[in-house]
Amino acid sequence: MDGEAHKGTVSWEDGTLAPVDHLRSERADSPTPGLVEGTEPGAGQKSAMFVHAQSFEDLTAEAEDEVRREAELDKSGECAEGLKVLVGEKTIEEQHNNDITSESRTKEEDVTGEAWRSHRKHVFVLSEAGKPIYTRYGTEEALSSTTGVMMALVSFVEAEKNIIRSIHADGCKVVFLSKSPLVLVGVSRTCQSDKELLRELQYIYYQIVSLLTLTQLNHIFQHKQNYDLRRLLAGSEYLTDNLLHRLDRDPGLLLSAVTCLPLASSARDMVSSGLQAAKSKNLVFSILLAGDRLVTLVRKKDQFLHHIDLHLVFNLVGSSSSFREGEGWTPICLPKFNTAGFFHAHISYLEPASELCLILVSTDREDFFNMSDCKRRFLERLSKRSAYQALKEALKCPSYSVAQVGIPELRHFLYKSKSSGLYTSPEFPEVYQSDKEQERLMGLYQDLHSSLHHPSRPLRSFYRCSETENLLAWVTSGFELYLCFSPLGTKALAVSAVNKLLKWIRKEEDRLFILSPLTY
Amino acid sequence: MTSRLSLPVTMSAMRVDAKVVMLGKESVGKTSLVERYVHHRFLVGPYQNTIGAAFVAKPIQVGEKVITLGIWDTAGSERYEAMSRIYYRGARAAIVCYDLTDSSSFQRARFWVKELQNCEEHCKIYLCGTKSDLIGGDRSLRQIDYHDTQDFADEIGALHFETSSKTGNNVDELFQRVAEDYNSTALQYMTAEETGVDLGQKKDSYFYSCCHNN
Repeated sequence: MDGEAHKGTVSWEDGTLAPVDHLRSERADSPTPGLVEGTEPGAGQKSAMFVHAQSFEDLTAEAEDEVRREAELDKSGECAEGLKVLVGEKTIEEQHNNDITSESRTKEEDVTGEAWRSHRKHVFVLSEAGKPIYTRYGTEEALSSTTGVMMALVSFVEAEKNIIRSIHADGCKVVFLSKSPLVLVGVSRTCQSDKELLRELQYIYYQIVSLLTLTQLNHIFQHKQNYDLRRLLAGSEYLTDNLLHRLDRDPGLLLSAVTCLPLASSARDMVSSGLQAAKSKNLVFSILLAGDRLVTLVRKKDQFLHHIDLHLVFNLVGSSSSFREGEGWTPICLPKFNTAGFFHAHISYLEPASELCLILVSTDREDFFNMSDCKRRFLERLSKRSAYQALKEALKCPSYSVAQVGIPELRHFLYKSKSSGLYTSPEFPEVYQSDKEQERLMGLYQDLHSSLHHPSRPLRSFYRCSETENLLAWVTSGFELYLCFSPLGTKALAVSAVNKLLKWIRKEEDRLFILSPLTY
Repeated sequence: MTSRLSLPVTMSAMRVDAKVVMLGKESVGKTSLVERYVHHRFLVGPYQNTIGAAFVAKPIQVGEKVITLGIWDTAGSERYEAMSRIYYRGARAAIVCYDLTDSSSFQRARFWVKELQNCEEHCKIYLCGTKSDLIGGDRSLRQIDYHDTQDFADEIGALHFETSSKTGNNVDELFQRVAEDYNSTALQYMTAEETGVDLGQKKDSYFYSCCHNN
């Protein structure tokens, strides 16, 4: 288990993901789903909606670049002492499933207790001075000696001109992400790869940057190295808690993609053009959400919203009821867009009890009333059209049943169109109704994802049988597909199902995806 | 620079009569106060801090007239402090809240009073002690003396209320008073404002935006 070799970035995937124009015309005629980027079901027709240079790889590449020149330091023997402080003296026997249920934040938890140690995944954020900034479980104050040890490990290795990346021991992984002026540490008992864990830490890092901007972070720590950042982050812990919860459960974060509210394209186009018309000088993005699903997104020409930034917006809106009170107006940094400055977001629900939330992102902090006026104009126009009724109808069934696909053995799937950065997935079937079962299935998908995107031995496809389900994963340059079948199915059946499913998605793509994203 | 010059204009371009800003330490109950006044409800459940600020417009009857209050409910978190100026700039009234059971929140209230006195001399200040239902149940919980606060209010020319968003006690009275005070002074300010922004006078406008932005 110890000493898994990492050889830095292996460019096994074609870097150029720009939609290929000549292929797109072919797509329209051919009923067979294309396997090539830009022709797969769900691919955008005009320009891509998100920045998606390398989606998943994009997230981790950054961290790997920093480390590439350094050899990985695996100090399983030497560090075992330090590790014990972090994870407890003994391996706690596979308790994975027992503590999933206690997902809620238990701040009062005793950090010296066995229960605290046995959490599946810990996340710590600390300053370079070793001060605790965030912990997923327990209180930060009680952890200053632990974070001190963590920082000592980081510094010790750095002194040798190396960078510590991970420690593997006792069925436990400790992953380090150094993003000056912060250090993030993940301690996991799951079977996720280092790369996956690193990706999650990266998300947490971006969450913090989105609240403060990197410029402000740097400024603070340049002036006062031992500043207690919790002062500035006060009241935002639940955003980070929630994001961690999403990382365990939301396929969008796993796939680096966003899902849409299924909606007839005519209705969606009407909503989009309404947003397009309600423009304003400093307005950069108009985003309409239905819960965790995207209804539409209109953007300024040449400005792209990265899926990570979009997920941070989803997390902000989804975590807080405060936007139901009135019209929200908040500074927000979109770190994948620019880590240096704030955008200002006007956040409001279309109607008091509605699920529809409109987010208008402006560059000007004094733009509140302009944005408020944009919303008013959009709503006025929309409420006169039948599309609004169609949209409200669509909200009643925000998902679809896998039975619609017509493959009896198929239980569930995730399908991501790489060029549009959008994915689709049916609701969980009967067998996966409980939270525990849903998280277990997500865990299986995560495993498959890890295998497909393994840093040194990536796979194109993967079929796996177990007592409870059979799984098939397939990645092409155009899409990523994860399927879950009943355990009674065969491999041949699974393979033939793929074609059938792709045809179904192609048939339904107008409804499931946003094919023609708009700009102002 | 050009965008800065137009700032004060855009921020007040809404059809509200009086801008009212809620200020105070986090978790003193600013949002609950607005929630009670505007929606006549008190939400129980885990505390959720406000993100950025929330705006709500509320019409209120004053004598024969209807006056629309534009209420800015700001976040108490230190993180947004730099941003707070845009919310209180040009405000006619500031409701500075403190928690009657938390003496540190009064220190924060003093900070806001000073800030307003320095930057917004035309803004009328209303000191508001929140959570009065708690001390109704147990007097020993009170950490802020009523008379001390009254003296402080007199000293700074502010009005003083103690409210409970849970029971609704004194909440309507507070906002009614804000609207009435605005109504009685509205005329004299209106004439003053019309000559307020002159883009021709570059120097003055620049000075204005500097003072109020930073």
